[in-house]
Amino acid sequence: MRLFGLETEYGITIDEVDRVDVVEESMQLIRCYQQGKFVPLWDYRLENPRRDERGFEVKNLLNDADEKVHLQQDRKRKIPFKELKSDLIIYNGSRFYNDHTHPEYSTGECISLFELVAQDKAGERIVDICARRRTEMLDQGVVRMYKNNTDFEGHSYGCHENYLMDRSVPFERILQGLLSFFPTRQIFCGAGKVGVEREDRAPIYQLSQRAEFFEVIASVDTMHKRPVVNTRDEPHADAAHYRRLHVIVGDANMSEYMTALKVGSTALVIDLIEADCLPDFRLKDPIAAMKNIARDQSYAWLVEVEGPGHRLVPAVEIQDAFLQLARREFAGRDRETDWVLGAWEDVIEKLSRDPMDLVGVCDWVTKKWLIDSFCEAENLAWDNPDDLFWMQSQDLEYSNVDREAGLYYLLESQGQMVRLVGDDEVAAAMSEPPSGTRAYFRGRSLEKFGDYVSSINWDRIVFKRNGRQHAVDMKLLVDEGRVRRYNEVLDNSETLESFLEALEKV
Amino acid sequence: MDKVLQFERRTKPVDPGGPGPGDDGDGGPARPKVERPDTHDLLRRMRRVDPNQARRYRQRTGE
Repeated sequence: MRLFGLETEYGITIDEVDRVDVVEESMQLIRCYQQGKFVPLWDYRLENPRRDERGFEVKNLLNDADEKVHLQQDRKRKIPFKELKSDLIIYNGSRFYNDHTHPEYSTGECISLFELVAQDKAGERIVDICARRRTEMLDQGVVRMYKNNTDFEGHSYGCHENYLMDRSVPFERILQGLLSFFPTRQIFCGAGKVGVEREDRAPIYQLSQRAEFFEVIASVDTMHKRPVVNTRDEPHADAAHYRRLHVIVGDANMSEYMTALKVGSTALVIDLIEADCLPDFRLKDPIAAMKNIARDQSYAWLVEVEGPGHRLVPAVEIQDAFLQLARREFAGRDRETDWVLGAWEDVIEKLSRDPMDLVGVCDWVTKKWLIDSFCEAENLAWDNPDDLFWMQSQDLEYSNVDREAGLYYLLESQGQMVRLVGDDEVAAAMSEPPSGTRAYFRGRSLEKFGDYVSSINWDRIVFKRNGRQHAVDMKLLVDEGRVRRYNEVLDNSETLESFLEALEKV
Repeated sequence: MDKVLQFERRTKPVDPGGPGPGDDGDGGPARPKVERPDTHDLLRRMRRVDPNQARRYRQRTGE
């Protein structure tokens, strides 16, 4: 079984307020989730984002110039670290907290793509509810939350994917697979962006929100000089057998279909990497390829590959090569695999014929369709800076998670967006953990014995009873049989004592 | 296939064992049956978006 999950950092602002204190507002927004007193439970001692999976640890992570100034200013605030982070763990097994002044929702671990989509959408609903509650507390203004990745002025924030994978796979093979897959997958899962924020600031439409923010091939950093392949080594599982592939190149998707296809196709590529079965493509310059594909107005998406001469290959051909191998190796394995193979093939075919056939499916295509129609109706020009700002405002509103205000949600209400999950499933996912993983164990443990939980992290829960601490290590809770046994013990236990006692016998 | 059926298929949650969502017969998503956004609702909503919303929207760098 392959565990995966999504972490989404949301943009936050307040209408009618000129200078928003994002440190304060991000913290307060998280607090709006709970009615009672905040009790910090997250165990930060189990985290170390400086450890590199290539076998070393960096002294410091990189920050850009703006962030260094902000950090200096923030030190003057008298808010304790744990209060600032405001980490919450929700009964659905997710983590909701303030990450670098962005409310972040990290889904619990999933093994089903469709459950992941429901959990991700549940995160949007929770963020929206918190925004409404925070608005009610303010003297003026309306809190707005955006599931996007940029402020159009050079500040990007992420939607990260996590995939548990076999640690024995050589890092070079991981690089070989991902360096041709990641730059080219944006042709379907890019979220689309009006404008360019760096270098020439060209007034054009890009496929991706994030593509222009990547500068190096591989590193442990995530905020400055971002890498195509992030090497953070925090498996949250048995480190002898597993690594967690922490993917930071992706855009946040509003489209349910794209969330599923992005994660589903990437999981299949990881299957191929583990099986040492990869297409024979190596991009000459993956970083340039990522930026060029995002900016290519012709939609030919040609990338230079290694080999004799100056050989240019369409990105759709590279994606198709991955698809054909995945089909050969994994077709018929299970229902979701077959769904991904079918959807991947169909999207590639439509992209090579006419990308606009994917309105309502791909975020970047749908957003472009909206922007083009609006420009035509209002006679807006791409080379007029004021018009460009209005287009960027439309871009932003596409990702507004308020279902009564956001443009994506207006399209959805009109039946223009392909759905994968029902509103009832999303509503249920706001409190129910995904099935069959340790997210269930985490969420239900909190729900059942929360009064006794003294600390928690992705891979450990500590219960405190009569002055004694009992730590439950969840590092091994990544295989189907063990998860089932642990979850059954939890379901069948009436008291904490009987629960802990039964766990010792598992 | 008539429009009512197409609408139902586009909004109905998918069965992972069945054909793809919004299936247009070959297992993949179908294109919406409109060529442009709804001129009454969508463009009206878009006109209400503050032209300076993005100009004011400033965030800190995240991960």
